[in-house]
Amino acid sequence: MLKVKNLSYAFGQKQVLSDISLDIAEGSFYAVMGANGCGKTTLLRCMDNLLEIPADTVFLGGKDITAYTSRQRAMQVAYVAQRPTSDVDFSAFEIVLMGRNPYQKHLQNESQHDWDIVEQCMRMTNTWHLRFSTLAQMSGGEVQRVMIARALAQQTPVLLLDEPLANLDISHQLEILGILTKINREQGKTIVLIIHDLNMALHYCPKLILLHDRHVAFCGDTADGLTEENIAQVFGINPKIETIEGKRYVLVKN
Amino acid sequence: MKNNNPLRRRGIVLPVSAIVMLALMFVVSLVGIVGFSPAEALDYLWQGVGGGDTNVIYWNLRLPRIVLCVLIGAVLSVSGATYQAVFRNPLTDPYVLGISSGASLGAAVAILLGLESSFFGVGLMALATALITVLLIYKIASIGNRMHTATLLLTGVCFTFLATAIVSFLMVINQDKMDRIIFWTMGSFSTVAWSDVLILLPVAVLGIAVVLFHSRDLNLLLVGSETAKSLGVEVERVKKILLFCTTLMVAFAVSACGVIGFVGLVVPHCIRLVVGSDNRLIIPYSVVAGGIFLLLCDTLARTVLMPSEIPVGSVTALVGAPMFIYLLYKSKKRF
Repeated sequence: MLKVKNLSYAFGQKQVLSDISLDIAEGSFYAVMGANGCGKTTLLRCMDNLLEIPADTVFLGGKDITAYTSRQRAMQVAYVAQRPTSDVDFSAFEIVLMGRNPYQKHLQNESQHDWDIVEQCMRMTNTWHLRFSTLAQMSGGEVQRVMIARALAQQTPVLLLDEPLANLDISHQLEILGILTKINREQGKTIVLIIHDLNMALHYCPKLILLHDRHVAFCGDTADGLTEENIAQVFGINPKIETIEGKRYVLVKN
Repeated sequence: MKNNNPLRRRGIVLPVSAIVMLALMFVVSLVGIVGFSPAEALDYLWQGVGGGDTNVIYWNLRLPRIVLCVLIGAVLSVSGATYQAVFRNPLTDPYVLGISSGASLGAAVAILLGLESSFFGVGLMALATALITVLLIYKIASIGNRMHTATLLLTGVCFTFLATAIVSFLMVINQDKMDRIIFWTMGSFSTVAWSDVLILLPVAVLGIAVVLFHSRDLNLLLVGSETAKSLGVEVERVKKILLFCTTLMVAFAVSACGVIGFVGLVVPHCIRLVVGSDNRLIIPYSVVAGGIFLLLCDTLARTVLMPSEIPVGSVTALVGAPMFIYLLYKSKKRF
């Protein structure tokens, strides 16, 4: 579905990604992990062509992503940014409705069909009761759920999320992971998300991309990738993996 | 399901307000140093349209002034709303950003070079300097993800100072045209003729049409460039088109009547209080409300101290400056 081939990226002199190659299958659910500043966000932004990337480095559905128009791409990939803007006076409903933008021509108004999709996506993310509120009136978790609803309203086969769990309490983290797991299973959406919690990744994300030192350190099943050895190497900590009631947990020793 | 939609249809008032604007144009055309009765005015209007013998004061002085006033009000308001979305800052308008003053510099130079008689000469020269101003501001504004309000405003203030200083200097070394400094810095409709309307009209229609066409993109830009891009907007291209069109309109507006401040700030903000943040409503309403606002300001400017005139820019500033301070106060958290 989404393929990255020999991708390198630099901000000016600073090399952020070098020679990344990935093959993300349709319907898979990937966690992207790695230490701060290792290029996770850059990778995600390259995968949606939000950064200027060279041709023939990212392929979407077999076709070079730079050959898509913005509109075509927005029908294929939805992106949820790390720190969503919250200083605009649009209501949650209007924000989610913006997800329908790629399907509309200039001067064309949204139809009942678009409104129905918006309602459905907002109910799925438990935000329908917030539809009249502006982002400024919401909590961090509510804003995050509204942004996910907007991405769902785009009805894309691929969903990229940059740290959707940041600044959320544990119950909201579980809620969002539950929603994402559900749409991955029921709609077959390909999901790639950046996440920091090792145990959440282990329990919710079947696949893992581990970035280390500008390179892909591991790409494959999360259960195989999150080993004591890999975690120690990537994060520079001393972990221990224990099995409790049949589930594996990463513990951190001092 | 149908009644669940929280987006009320808020566009019905538009035709009504357009009619109000036309009626208002007629009413204010009656008052002035020379007053007219409605019957006289209708008669002159009829004869003027038919090309017959009409009243010179009504047809050649009063009417073009009123029409131009509405056009410029519309142009400045639409430009203000557009700049606010493109720069993602509610405190911007052509005046605050220094673009109007930038345009006035080009227009002044053109007049001193004797280009006043050529049809589009002054406007094009104004466009050149206004575009330079916009380009510089845009360059400064696109450093980093989000522009600090203070930086943007101070840049605008500096450009205004610079342009005003050069215009004043140019006017002083050309003593005969010195009385027009006030015209360029505070704006005036006192020398308007039909030819001014004919020059501005096509520019205004074209510019407003382009902005209207992109009004949905304006909403997305307001949320952020990256979000807009991921939702299918060709961000850089759209921004360039919008900045060019609005600057074109501002340059020709300034060429016709000098620098009139705060219209683009006051009008879109008041509209937002009524219809919300959706630019698909704000832009069309800006056309009408901008026209009405500037028409009222100019009517005050020419009638309050009859027979002398107040510069129309000082009337708009009396309304706009306090509102600017209010908006600044409201958004202080964002600094």
